[in-house]
Amino acid sequence: MNSWLNRGTRNSAARTGVVALAVSALLMTAACGGGDSAGDSEGALPAEITIPLSTPLTGASGFAGVAAEKGYDLALKEVNDSDFLGGTKLKLDKLDTKSTPQQAASDLSSAIANKSVPAVLGSIASGEAVAQSPLAEKQGMPIVYIQAGSPGVLVGDYTYRLTAPQGSYYPIIEKYLKDKRATKIGVIYGSWVPTIKDLGENAVPAAAEAVGATITTTVATQQTTQDFSAPISKVLKTNPDVVALLQIGAANATAMKQLREAGFDGPVIGNSSAGAGNLKPAGAAGAGMAWPVDFDHQTTDPASTKFVEDFQKEYGEVPLTYAAEGYDALWFVARAIKAADSTDREAVKDAMQELVKKPFTGAMGTDRTFEGNDFRVPGVVIEWDGTKENFVYAAE
Amino acid sequence: MQEIIGALTLGSIYLLFALGMSIVWGSIGILNFAHGAIFMFSAFICHQILKSYEAPFVVVALLGMLVGSAMSVLMQVLVFEQILKRSTSERSADVRILIGGIGAGIIPLAIAEHITKNQAFGLERSSFDIHVFEVADLRITNIQIITLACAGVLAVAIGTWLNRSRQGLALRSIGVDAEVASMMGINRARLATVTMAFAGALAGLAGVLLTYQLGALTPDSGDILLVKAFACVILGGLGSTLGVVTGCFMLAAAETFVLTQTSGMWVEAIAFGLIFVVLLVRPVGLFGRQEVRRV
Amino acid sequence: MNTFYDANIVLIQATFVGILLALSVQVPLRMGVFSFAGAGSYGIGAYAAANLVIRQDFPALPTLVLSGVVAALVGLALGLVIYRLNGLYLAMATVAFDLTVGVIAVNGGEWTGGANGLFGVLTDLTLPIIVVVVLACVVGVAITEHGRTGRRVDAVREDPELAASMGINVRRYRLLAFVASGFLGGVAGAMNVLARTTIGPADVGFGLVILALTMIIVGGALSWKGAVIGALLFTWLPEALTLVGEWQELVYGFIVLLAGIFLPRGLHGLYVDGRRGVAARRRRSRLARVERQMAGEIDSDAEAEPVAVDERVGS
Repeated sequence: MNSWLNRGTRNSAARTGVVALAVSALLMTAACGGGDSAGDSEGALPAEITIPLSTPLTGASGFAGVAAEKGYDLALKEVNDSDFLGGTKLKLDKLDTKSTPQQAASDLSSAIANKSVPAVLGSIASGEAVAQSPLAEKQGMPIVYIQAGSPGVLVGDYTYRLTAPQGSYYPIIEKYLKDKRATKIGVIYGSWVPTIKDLGENAVPAAAEAVGATITTTVATQQTTQDFSAPISKVLKTNPDVVALLQIGAANATAMKQLREAGFDGPVIGNSSAGAGNLKPAGAAGAGMAWPVDFDHQTTDPASTKFVEDFQKEYGEVPLTYAAEGYDALWFVARAIKAADSTDREAVKDAMQELVKKPFTGAMGTDRTFEGNDFRVPGVVIEWDGTKENFVYAAE
Repeated sequence: MQEIIGALTLGSIYLLFALGMSIVWGSIGILNFAHGAIFMFSAFICHQILKSYEAPFVVVALLGMLVGSAMSVLMQVLVFEQILKRSTSERSADVRILIGGIGAGIIPLAIAEHITKNQAFGLERSSFDIHVFEVADLRITNIQIITLACAGVLAVAIGTWLNRSRQGLALRSIGVDAEVASMMGINRARLATVTMAFAGALAGLAGVLLTYQLGALTPDSGDILLVKAFACVILGGLGSTLGVVTGCFMLAAAETFVLTQTSGMWVEAIAFGLIFVVLLVRPVGLFGRQEVRRV
Repeated sequence: MNTFYDANIVLIQATFVGILLALSVQVPLRMGVFSFAGAGSYGIGAYAAANLVIRQDFPALPTLVLSGVVAALVGLALGLVIYRLNGLYLAMATVAFDLTVGVIAVNGGEWTGGANGLFGVLTDLTLPIIVVVVLACVVGVAITEHGRTGRRVDAVREDPELAASMGINVRRYRLLAFVASGFLGGVAGAMNVLARTTIGPADVGFGLVILALTMIIVGGALSWKGAVIGALLFTWLPEALTLVGEWQELVYGFIVLLAGIFLPRGLHGLYVDGRRGVAARRRRSRLARVERQMAGEIDSDAEAEPVAVDERVGS
């Protein structure tokens, strides 16, 4: 559950390499029955292309999926209204995974069986994405994810991700720590969530070291931890001047509230899962938590600003990160189809391989880059003031 | 010292949740798997109502108890009575009661998840502010004090009532031998409904108190507590109020100890290891009576 | 047919995994052992299989068997420790075992991949291998439901004291329940890993206990056929409920609830009752005919079949 956030990058390179090798070896033997990619004649796009979107819209990760859906929809509208594919319309086929990996895998295999599908938008949930990637890789179906930061998600040439892993831009918090004159940092982290485990064990200690602070103590909490008073009292005993509180969703509000009740009123650093209003139930106690994110609607980047304006015009609200990522993911697919000028899966994959070598401009910013098939952003730091998120600074 | 206050509060929450479950289970023999859903949904209804009306703490707590009680009675009448009516043997009834509870528990969960879109909900708009009292080095909030007091008073009251009063005796006798009890003129169905109503009220109260204390609940909060409460009841021994109390505080103390003295990685393994060891030494829990009915 | 197969390969595989998982909880239940250890065995089998494939490059079939054996041995060890417990106390001890397996999965370092889990578990698993393994397991279980073994198992469940006085070694049967449950659960977990190529802590939680229990209670608790019906139903039901739209979870709950209330012996029990009803009607009409024959109204002797019908069908 809830493992939908960016998972860490630790060991990922080595492991991904091994997996990719194994997968390609399997492909040699398995894909001989090949030719199962769309048999359309090269260069002619049909009047309508269906892109399946297999992501959780209900269940544990449903709220993130619903938020992302708006971004996908907006991009779809723009692609079709601007006649981007020259007379060809894109259509989204939304398949709710109900936050279960099995449904995610099942929906993907249905999509693969449908020969007219050139590419798939994959799940935001890591646990679902790792179930989809091997299928996509084995059967040669290009799949584009957002969020889903687990190391098992990107396994070869067919898998792409339009979200930078949180660990890759977390170092941006260093400036914040320096500004707050952090010297002693106590860490409370949910070790059962891959991304958060990576932050608590690697990214935060690294940031502390960079600013010359020490980690006073580290406590891991579990999925079933609902009351945080015990880990909090352990951490406060070591007299930290900054606390790193790394939790998922609602637990952020509870832990923050209990941290304040326990008498700590210093600065707190968190993770992007505290966003999307998750701190609201903590009320005033939630104020003073800051965390790095890959996207914020108050950003000054011209491409991002344009997206925010369009999004507000369409929905009358500001976009969440998920929406920005979904928007870029759909555009990525559309650009690949246009470059390939075909619905052939091989051709679309080759086009995607070219796309990731060039700078990418979209909701996440101007001229963003890829590392392998994975997205990279510089990130921004935001702070919760008890009622809303405030933009603190962006990377230089 | 601060840890002890934390452990006592945690134990009190487990206790408020587990007490209702254990009374129903130990007397009328129903292990209600929807207890967690009742707990969560009571707090959820309060949350919904607080969106339109402001209310003081006592009203919210009473409302939670009312909702929990009503849901619990509905469960009894619409589900458990029906299952018992259609059962040939006790064994098959027991397992089907589990399934009935599981199925019925999904329904409020689905409704709450649908309305909240799986996000946390709290009781922000009630006119109740949390104060922190500082005595020497110790800090305790007013909601912690209320939780501790509620758990303490209710546990003592229930224990005394079960042991001393006529109805308490009737209830315990059903737990020991339902047939003999009915021969002695105890109206099982009515007593069962009253017991379920009471247990539901406790679940509702626990839901409201925990939401105040944690600031927010998620729709699946109840399921996490359900497994822990199950463990507490078994640890202490089914059918004993003293047992439930001991089980809850033992589990809370063990968890607090692991979380404050180690890196916290193995907290659950140690909690469940404890249950394992206790059951090996005492196969019916710490204060359990020798099982009369086979399950 | 081929398109259907391609489009639904995941659910087809999941159905077979579900059958084994359901059996791993059903077998001990049928022997009167209220054990949910099958879910923990599922986790052990899954991680064992992942390690065998990733580290030792094992092919599919030996991986399945060996993972099952590993889980069976753990099951035996667990059984030796707790077989004396009864009823829900035993259930709680096995739930604690399941949850501990989950904790080890999160904290097991490189053996379990921690919170990330393990992936890239690629083997030569094919549907025929799955079918053969599941068929072998089902036949093994079915044998214990018939003849002498079946009667002994029934006796151990219904009245252990009586069974012991009849010279049945109850302890051995109870231990056997743990071993069989461990093996079936282990193979189920291993099969799931090989089919999906990945395993993580979220895949081995308490939810498995609930799922397995739902399958066998709604399907039918006393026959392997019940487990098969339950596995089929609860693997394909979510897919079917997609049509209901956003309230599918609610409908799912109602279906489980109604099955719990109105199907005392599960869908399989309903089927058996139905068949018995037909048999009884047939017998009545046959009896009537015999009576009429005796009365000399019909002078044919065509109906020579024996009239006795086994009353104890199914249960």
